[in-house]
Amino acid sequence: MKPLALIGTVLAVAAVTAALLLSGSSYAVQVAITALIFVILTASLNLVTGTAGLMTLGHAAFYGVGAYAAALLSTKLGLSFWVTLPLAGLVTAFFGFLVALPTMRLTSIYFAVATLAIGEMIVVAITNWTGFTRGPMGIRGIPSITVFGHEGLTVNLLVVLAATLVSVWAIWRLTHSYYGNGLRALREDDQCAEAMGLNAVRLKIEVFTIACFFAGIAGALFAHTSGYISPESFRFGESILLLTMAVVGGLGSVPGSAIGAIILIVLPELLRGAGNVRMVAVGVVLFLCILFLPKGLFGEVSALAFARNQLRRAGLGWSR
Amino acid sequence: MKSLVRTIVAVALGAALVAPAAAQEIYIGYQAPLTGTQSQYGEVFRNAATMQLEKFNAAGGVGGRKVVIVWEDSKSDPKEAVAIGRKFVDDKRIVGVLGDFASGPSMAVGEVYAKEGMAQLSQTASHPDYTKISKWQFRNITTQAQEGPYNAKWLKDLGVKNVAVLALQNDWGLSAAENFQKSFEQLGGKATTEYFNPGTRDFRSILTKVQRTNPDAVYLAMFYEEGALLLQQAKQLGMKVPFYSTSALYAPKLIELGGDAVDGMKLTTTFDANNPAANVRAFVEDYKKRYGQEPNQFAAQGYDATGIMLEALKRAGPNATRAQVRDALAATKDYPGVTGATTFDPQTREPSKTLAKMEVKGGKFVVMPQQ
Repeated sequence: MKPLALIGTVLAVAAVTAALLLSGSSYAVQVAITALIFVILTASLNLVTGTAGLMTLGHAAFYGVGAYAAALLSTKLGLSFWVTLPLAGLVTAFFGFLVALPTMRLTSIYFAVATLAIGEMIVVAITNWTGFTRGPMGIRGIPSITVFGHEGLTVNLLVVLAATLVSVWAIWRLTHSYYGNGLRALREDDQCAEAMGLNAVRLKIEVFTIACFFAGIAGALFAHTSGYISPESFRFGESILLLTMAVVGGLGSVPGSAIGAIILIVLPELLRGAGNVRMVAVGVVLFLCILFLPKGLFGEVSALAFARNQLRRAGLGWSR
Repeated sequence: MKSLVRTIVAVALGAALVAPAAAQEIYIGYQAPLTGTQSQYGEVFRNAATMQLEKFNAAGGVGGRKVVIVWEDSKSDPKEAVAIGRKFVDDKRIVGVLGDFASGPSMAVGEVYAKEGMAQLSQTASHPDYTKISKWQFRNITTQAQEGPYNAKWLKDLGVKNVAVLALQNDWGLSAAENFQKSFEQLGGKATTEYFNPGTRDFRSILTKVQRTNPDAVYLAMFYEEGALLLQQAKQLGMKVPFYSTSALYAPKLIELGGDAVDGMKLTTTFDANNPAANVRAFVEDYKKRYGQEPNQFAAQGYDATGIMLEALKRAGPNATRAQVRDALAATKDYPGVTGATTFDPQTREPSKTLAKMEVKGGKFVVMPQQ
């Protein structure tokens, strides 16, 4: 366990230091917060799409469910961030579970289309259920995160950072375990996996629910850090953005997800100087990435080797 | 000789150090969707604002100091809008901000400007809660709270009793429909609202439904993309009912896309490209010459918003703080814009403008005589 804990501590310390250094520029802090929220989202999407091989096109809608759950719980019931954060995760997980029940018997493109439809349905419901969600008006006045009476941008960043580290750690441990191996077996051949005694449908439902839990956590973080949410943040385009992040980073690779999310949030900001062609430039960079590194910037094979190495040194059994 | 060279160098150096200080520029930020699906609006704002800025700087700027607009592209994405907000707040030179375009991004970034204390003047954000965020939010668009009752009275005076409202299901459409319906019902009329989701292309089912209720008039709360399609499909269905609209359908593109199906529609407007007033003529001619097209309502709104901001900078003086710029904006009174004389209510920071009635006739927007 020692080397792993050491790496974790070093990473956490480095991240906190970077966060404090950044706090001089509120712009950089804002971009960092957005990037971290997208790291959670991409890592959770990657668990379903990369590791278990189920392409989902509606992940942003679950992110929206989490954001609306947190926003409604805090503005209508006056609950604090520390209560709404886990509740938003649980509510979204429950939604994910309900959606998973009928759709998990589908595979490949059929599953993708089903999630696309469900994602759109959720967003349309949020937009049209004016009495409950305030529809297209959005929800404003969502209280910001407070830690022992402190609040502000730096507090937001540190809390989001902590949530991201914990979420990514949890997803990393799930991915690199017997459970993760089971998911990969499903991806490669679900009939074969069933023949080996794995309950494919149950595994799929579980992994989808877990991924939705983390999407909900990300949604709550977004709602409380931005103070205002409206349905347009959770549309189909955002789901595609998440998928792009996962593919650029490397499908099935947790570090890849983090890298992909950070690149796709930070790069358009860095390229602001390019004016009207900045999104074209982002497109070119993505194209070159896919062309030369089709497995992603930090592909699954390297991610597995890295994980195996760490776990072996930690004396954990999986790699043997 | 040596000392002469030294003196020259010293003087030159000194001049170099002093010169930029004397000609120091004043900065404002402008955030708009310059790329992405709504870039047609951002482009129009940039055109109009650039015209206004050049005119202002040529006329001497703020006490001889030029104003510079820092442009940032928000793609109409709330998360990018918020990042831009932070960027503008960090930039100590920036004393005021124009934008964003749609209400969602404008409201999201509004939370940032409210917290950090920066005046934000959106040319178009029409969300009813926008100016309620804080004392730092302003807008240069007549809200539906002004237009709705105006149009309700117009229709009532024409003897219309039963109106079908067709509205876009977004924050703007919702407030447009509700404000109209409420005032129309208060005046004793009957109104029913039918919403459709953004991106709708086929209005036949909704129009058939409206036809069955047999209304005296149909009131449209939508933009030209939907408006043109809807009116064409209404014509194909042979609907004879008169159509009325908010100012949002005042766009040359509506006629371009809708053809003769648009003829006969009546609407309110704050801007009329054929207005004979000298400032409107100058604006329209100059805009046509530069960009090769007639300015629409959005161009006029961006042009005036920039003008109002620049006038406020002028009144606040060359060394104004962000707070002083805000106070100067709040004191805007009878600004002679191309969208009519504009006054900000110092308490609610809502603009009031003079409204005019228009009709589409023979493929042209024609202002109707005031009764």
